[in-house]
Amino acid sequence: MWQRRAFLKAAGAGFAASLLPRQVLALERNELVFATSVQTSAGKYGAVLLGERGDVISQIALPDRGHDITISAEAGRGVVFARQPGTFAVVFDPAGREAPVTLTSVEGRHFFGHGVFSPDGRLLYATESDFEAAKGVIGIYDATDGYKRVGEFPTYGTGPHEMLLMPDGVTFVVANGGIETHPDYGRAELNLDTMDPSVAFIDRRDGHLVGQLRLESGLHQLSIRHMAIDARNRVWFGCQYKGAPSDSPQLVGYATADGEIRLIELPGDTLRDLRNYVGSVAVSADGGTVAVSSPEGDLLVAIDAEGRRPVLVETLRNGCGLAADGSGFVATSGMGEMIGIAGAERDRQKFDFSFDNHVLRVG
Amino acid sequence: MRLLLALLVFVSAAPAMAQELATSAVLANAVEQVIRPGFTDLRNEAHGLADAMGGLCAEPSAEAQALAQDRFARTAAAYGRVEFIRIGPLMEDNRSDRLLFWPDRKGIALRQVQAILADADATATALETLRGKSVAVQGLNALEFVLFGTGAETLAGSEGRFRCAYGSAIAQNVAGIADALAAAWYAPDGVAAHLMAPEASYADYRTETEALEALVGLISHGVEGLRDTRINPFIAQGDKPAAPRQALFWRSGLTMAMAGANVEGLEQLFTVSRMALVGGAAESGLDNSVRFEFANAKRAIGLVTAPVEQAVADPKQAQALAYLVIVTQSLQVLVGEQLSAALGLSVGFSSLDGD
Repeated sequence: MWQRRAFLKAAGAGFAASLLPRQVLALERNELVFATSVQTSAGKYGAVLLGERGDVISQIALPDRGHDITISAEAGRGVVFARQPGTFAVVFDPAGREAPVTLTSVEGRHFFGHGVFSPDGRLLYATESDFEAAKGVIGIYDATDGYKRVGEFPTYGTGPHEMLLMPDGVTFVVANGGIETHPDYGRAELNLDTMDPSVAFIDRRDGHLVGQLRLESGLHQLSIRHMAIDARNRVWFGCQYKGAPSDSPQLVGYATADGEIRLIELPGDTLRDLRNYVGSVAVSADGGTVAVSSPEGDLLVAIDAEGRRPVLVETLRNGCGLAADGSGFVATSGMGEMIGIAGAERDRQKFDFSFDNHVLRVG
Repeated sequence: MRLLLALLVFVSAAPAMAQELATSAVLANAVEQVIRPGFTDLRNEAHGLADAMGGLCAEPSAEAQALAQDRFARTAAAYGRVEFIRIGPLMEDNRSDRLLFWPDRKGIALRQVQAILADADATATALETLRGKSVAVQGLNALEFVLFGTGAETLAGSEGRFRCAYGSAIAQNVAGIADALAAAWYAPDGVAAHLMAPEASYADYRTETEALEALVGLISHGVEGLRDTRINPFIAQGDKPAAPRQALFWRSGLTMAMAGANVEGLEQLFTVSRMALVGGAAESGLDNSVRFEFANAKRAIGLVTAPVEQAVADPKQAQALAYLVIVTQSLQVLVGEQLSAALGLSVGFSSLDGD
């Protein structure tokens, strides 16, 4: 947990000095810090650092809508990725000492909204699309050399979305959503009849495929998109179903590096209210509880990872962002609300901006 | 005195009541006056097309081919007026892709249709077996190639017998799908009932707010789809040259007729449902703003009079196409963001975007 002191340490001694007095006050009042992309009430896009009490500690403007954020204490930088199919990623200094730097996707690639740093903070990895070939790649950027793009690995699938680094520090897990898009056609999904989603484990050192898991072929329109890793290193994933709306397949499951992949059984009414759409997945600080959200169904579900069954269902209008908070989770919404669930004690707060789909607990 | 006060209250409240529209009225307007008639129209046109194809195959002639081509244009336009209603029946059973496989960036439909014609694949001429084939070869873009593509002139004589039989099977398939769509929208306990009178136990629409969100979303995503899949792919932009053969229906010259049908259908859903007059949105002025932009879109489309291959090379018509892109962007913001916010909805933000 990146609490306030650790945040200050990671951000460097200059952090507090670089902030305005109001921001210093905001920082001092908060033990936890969250990062998220937002849209302001005026329709502008940005990313904010938010204290647990809801104080806006700092914010940056974005040229267009952002999506997920990754932060590395080692690199002393955060990166917010453009919403897919996006062409920018903005590297920012959480301490606000240096101006943000905008990275532009290279010719023939665009970003898919997610990425991670290497454990030492020297490399940044981003899910990207080689859109002419309709193949996913992991773009590799050198954080020590102005975030120059130094290479790429395949994701062994189409339409990669979220990627995570396993606790071993050397294995990526990538959710290949299976959906082909191309910038010539905006966000139109071009291959719904032939989708082939998968979870791929990829070696960070040379990009070789460690293992690739698919759900049964009848579920080929179940796009695997978001993930979180539990205390037993199981990769929990949430799906979005692109088949007939009257179908109601299970949407949440887990995969392991040992080759197991399975969907868990959620009760019918919970599944119905997820509306064939899971927008984000998070694991509690102790790794024992998984939370999934559906902004389409206004539903948040907390699942006991061991028992593989829901322990709490909560509604939040257009709720999507999830991050561990205390023993539970903080959840954010497109309607500008932030609440605590499953043991996180916090009052419901309302902001004058809309939260994007993800919220990151910094640390 | 009490009566007088009550009367005064009633009188003073009347104008506000007259302005505000209940969500339930918008939902009923949309279903009963736009969606159902739209799918009925598609069904009727599709049967006209199937009949015309049957006639062409029975007695091939240039006149019969022209009639079939005209029926194709009418059916395509009828579909253009409802194709953005991507909820419920259209999203079941791959109907949307089976009716129109588009975008088709890799030209899959063309390759597969040409293979069927080259091989005279008899299984493509029977409805049952055609349905089992790739979605790319059983809908309107496949039929467009049959009626207007290379070799279409053979349809007017006996040489085109196989081609016609394949086209006729496609037309029957389109009519069958149109039947299913209309039937589903008229089913007493189907999607229409759920959309007009949502209940917490329904899997599709639990509240009126969700149902209204779905309708507003149709317009926001509809203008986005028009721009991203029907206009942007073929117009020149920056360093990218125009690519008129990336346009839908360039062979039949129906590219802009289809865009016009999209705008007509979207505008109808917006104006007839009166969705911008619900609650506080009525005071926002958005109803006028959106109508104004729809009028601009129609004017821009009207300026593109030449086939797209010539239109993109003509400065005035190319400018009209570029302007149409701007108008769709404006409409998307007006409806997906501003109207959505005025109605207290969440269209276009965290949900419905596939992220």
